Amino acid sequence: MRRNRLAALCAALALLLLCGCGEDAGVQNQRLVALIVKSTDSEFFLSVFAGARAAATEYNLELTIAGPETEEDYEAQNRMIEEAVAAGAEAIVLSAIDYEKNAAAVDAAAKAGVRIVSIDSGVGSGQVSTYIGTDNYAAGRMAAQAALEGVEGPLYVGLINYDEGTANGQERESGAADALAQSGRAQITAVVNTLTEAGHAQADTAGLLAAHPEINVLMAFNEPTSVGAARAVRELALSDAVFFVGFDSNVVTIDGVQDGCVDALIVQNPYAMGYLGVESAYKLLAGQSGGLAAMVDTSTQIVNRENLFTMDMQKALFAFEQYQD
Amino acid sequence: MRDGTSSKGPRTTTILLTMVVGVMTVILCFCIFVFLNRYRSALVRSARTSSAQAALQVSSTVGNYLRDMELAMELVEQSMWSSADNRDELLSTFLKFRPDVVAVTSYSSAGELLDCWSLGREPRENIFQNLSFDLETARCADGAYMTAPHVMSIFRSHYPWVVTMTAPLPVQGAAAWVSLDLSFSGISSYINGVSIGQRGYCFLMDGDGNIVYHPQQQLLYSGLKSEDTAALAALEDGTYVDDTVIHCLTSVQGSDWRVVGVSYVDELVDRSVHEMIRLSVWLAALVLAAGLLTSWLLSRQLSRPLRGLASAMERFETDADHFTYRPVGGTREVRELSDSFGHMVVRIQQLMSTVRQEEINLRKTELKALQAQINPHFLYNTLDSIAWMCEQGRSADAVKMIHALARLFRISISRGHELIPIAREIEHAENYLEIQKYRYKNQFTYAFHVDPACLDYYCNKITLQPIIENAIMHGLDLLVEEGRIDVYVCRDGDDILFRVQDNGVGMSPDQAASILDQDTQDRTGIGIKNVNDRLRIYFGKQYGLRVTSEPDVGTCVEIRMPKIKEAGDYEAK
Repeated sequence: MRRNRLAALCAALALLLLCGCGEDAGVQNQRLVALIVKSTDSEFFLSVFAGARAAATEYNLELTIAGPETEEDYEAQNRMIEEAVAAGAEAIVLSAIDYEKNAAAVDAAAKAGVRIVSIDSGVGSGQVSTYIGTDNYAAGRMAAQAALEGVEGPLYVGLINYDEGTANGQERESGAADALAQSGRAQITAVVNTLTEAGHAQADTAGLLAAHPEINVLMAFNEPTSVGAARAVRELALSDAVFFVGFDSNVVTIDGVQDGCVDALIVQNPYAMGYLGVESAYKLLAGQSGGLAAMVDTSTQIVNRENLFTMDMQKALFAFEQYQD
Repeated sequence: MRDGTSSKGPRTTTILLTMVVGVMTVILCFCIFVFLNRYRSALVRSARTSSAQAALQVSSTVGNYLRDMELAMELVEQSMWSSADNRDELLSTFLKFRPDVVAVTSYSSAGELLDCWSLGREPRENIFQNLSFDLETARCADGAYMTAPHVMSIFRSHYPWVVTMTAPLPVQGAAAWVSLDLSFSGISSYINGVSIGQRGYCFLMDGDGNIVYHPQQQLLYSGLKSEDTAALAALEDGTYVDDTVIHCLTSVQGSDWRVVGVSYVDELVDRSVHEMIRLSVWLAALVLAAGLLTSWLLSRQLSRPLRGLASAMERFETDADHFTYRPVGGTREVRELSDSFGHMVVRIQQLMSTVRQEEINLRKTELKALQAQINPHFLYNTLDSIAWMCEQGRSADAVKMIHALARLFRISISRGHELIPIAREIEHAENYLEIQKYRYKNQFTYAFHVDPACLDYYCNKITLQPIIENAIMHGLDLLVEEGRIDVYVCRDGDDILFRVQDNGVGMSPDQAASILDQDTQDRTGIGIKNVNDRLRIYFGKQYGLRVTSEPDVGTCVEIRMPKIKEAGDYEAK
C-alpha cells in the first residue's frame, strides 16, 4: 500500500513537472551565429546579409554580421573570427578572403567548439562542415563560354582578378583559363590582380587595356572588379571593341548590360548563400548535421542583353527588398 | 495467494482490480478519444475561421488601397487636361504625398514614353526595354489594368520592383495612356503585419497565379521557397484544409487579385492536440492510479477479514475440538458473519461434547444392563448340574457349586461398583472356572499366575470372565484332548497386564483381528468386544485387548489397563 501511494505521488509530481516544462520550453535563449564575410558594402554581400537575416528570423537565431574594410584584409577577418568565438558564437558562417591564411583561425575556432559553415569562398581547413556557394570552376568556364560564343575569331583575353589568396577568384580564373585553352582560338593576354575595389579595378583595367590594345575579351571575377572594369570600358569607349564578361549583379553592371559596355554577367545567388549558410548553421547546432551535404551548389545564371528582363532574370538580378547601402 | 489457500479460483482483490482497471481503461480511452476528436475539430474550425478572418481583413485593406489608387488615377487623369506647368506642379505634389508611387508616366498612342514624373529621377535617354508599359496589352485592355510585378527599368541605376496601373485617356491630347508605377511599400505594410499562428502568413496573387506580393518574396525569387500558385489559382474562394496547411482564398474586390492566407495545421492544431493528448494521458493515468488504489483498499477491507474467516473455518474443520475462535474485524457485514460463525462454533462444540457424553452414558448404561444379565443358559445349566448332583447324592459337590455360584453373583453385583479390586476379579474368574469345570466334567484344567503386588489395584469387574467364557466355548469345547487355561496377572510399567492363554483350536490371524470388531449377537452376556470397548471408554484408546492366535496351538488374549489405586477416580465417570 505504501508503495502504491508513493507511485501515485510520483505520478502527480511528474505531471506537475511536465506541465512546468511545457511552459518553459517556449522561452529559450537564442543561439548566436556569426556571419563573417569579405566586405559589407557590395550588393552581393548585402544580398547575402538579407538571406542570412531571413534564415535567422525563421530559425530564431541571433545573428551578428561582420566584414573587413577591404576584401584583402584577411587579418581583420581572422580577428573577427576570434571575436566571434569570444562573443560566444556557436557557429560561424564564413566567406574567407584567403584560402590559406584564414585556415589557422578557423581551426582555432573549431577547436573551441564552434561549427564552421563556408559560403561563397572556401577556406583550407578540415573543420568546415559544409560549403554553400557557386561551383566557381564551373562559373569560370561559363564566363569563358559566354565570351567564346559572343566573339568570333581569335580571342585575346584580359583577366581582372582580385587577391591571389582568395579561393573563389582563383577557381573561377582556372575554370575560365581551361575553357579558353580548350577552344583553341583564345589566348590569355594578361592577368591583373587588382584590389577588390571599383576605383582600383577601373584604373588597373584602364592600364591593362592601354598596355594591351589587342585585347578583345575582358573578364572580371567579382562584383567590385566587374564594376571597375565596366566603368573603364565605358570611359574608354571600348564597349563595342571589347567583349566584357563580369560577375554578379550590381546596378552599374546592369546599366552596363543595357548600355553595351557589359556583354555578359555571371550572376550568382547570394541571397541563397546567406540563407542556406545560416540554415546549415542552425541544422548543425540543432544536431541535424546528418542531412547536410559537404557542398551545396547555389545556382549560377548568365545574363546578357537578350535575357536581361525576362522574369527569371528579374528575379535573379534585382533584389526585391531595398537593402540599405 | 501468499498464504497458499489453494488455487480454486481468483481472489476478490484480483477480480475487483481487474474489473476496475478494465472498465476504467475502456471508459477513459473512450472519453479521451471523443474529447480529442471534438477538441481537434474545434481547433480546426477556429483555425479556419482565424485564417479566413485574416485573409478577409487583408483583402479588404488591399481593396481599399486599390480604390485609393483608382482615385489617385482619376486625379492623375484629370491633371492631364490642365496646362503643362500646372500638371507638373500637381503631379510633383501628388508624388510627395504618395511615396509608394514610384513614377507617373504617359504614353502616346504609338506606345512611346511621352512624359515621366518621378521624384528626383529622370528616365534614361535610351530605354533598353520598358517593362512598365506594353502596347499590345494596353490596346487589348478594356479600361484600366494592372500588370504583374516587374522591375522598373526606365531609370539608370535604380531598379525597384513595382506593379503598374495603366489607364487609357480619352483621345484629347498627345497622351493616350497614363501609368502609375506602384512600389510594394503600401501593400507590404498590410501584408507583412499579418500573422496566422506563429508561422502563418498572407500573400497576394493575381488571377493567373502570379505572386503579386509575398512576405518572403525574395526567398521565392531566390528559389529557396515556392508556392503552388497554379493549383491555388484554380480554386474558388474559400478555406481548404489539408494535412499540413490551411489555405484560405479571398478575392480582392474591384480587381482580379486574390489574397491567400497560409497557416499551418501543426502549429495551430497539432501542437495543442499533442499537448492535450499528453495532459489527458497523464490525467487518465492519475485517475487510473486513484481508481486502482481505491479498489485495492476496498477489496483489502473486504477480503482480508473474509480470508481470516475462511482460514478460521478451515482450522475448525480440521480440529473442531481444540478450536478457539477469535472474531475478525472489518465491515459490519463481515463482523456479523464472524459473530455468527463464533456462535456456531460454540454451539457445535457444545453439541459435540453433549453427543460424546451421551454416547458414553449410553454405553455405560448398556454395559451395566449387560453385566446384570448373567447368561441365563449358564444359570440354567449350572442349576441343572447342581440338581443332578443332589439327585446323585453328591451333596458336597453340590454345596461347592452353590457356594461358587453365590460368590459369582455377589462379585458380579459388587454393590453396583464398576471397579473392583483385582483380587475380587480373580476370585470371580476362579468361581466361574470352577463351575464350568464341573459342568464340562473336568475336560480342562486351569491355573492362575498372579503377581501378588497387583492384587490391591482395581480393575473393571467382569473383565476376565467373558474372555475365559470365550476360550472355553470356542477354544476348548471342540478340543479332543484335555484343555488348559492359564491366567496371568502382572505389572508392566504403569500398566497392569492380564493374559488369558488357552491351548484350544485357535484362529486364523484374520479371525483374531476381527474378533474385537464383531458384535456377538448370537448370545447374551458380555462379549469380548464389549470388554474392549468398556476399557477404552474408561481409560482411553491405548488400553484394551490384544488377541494373538495360532490355529491348533491356542489363543492368547492380553488385557491392558492402567494401575488404579482408588476406585473413586474412575467410578464417577
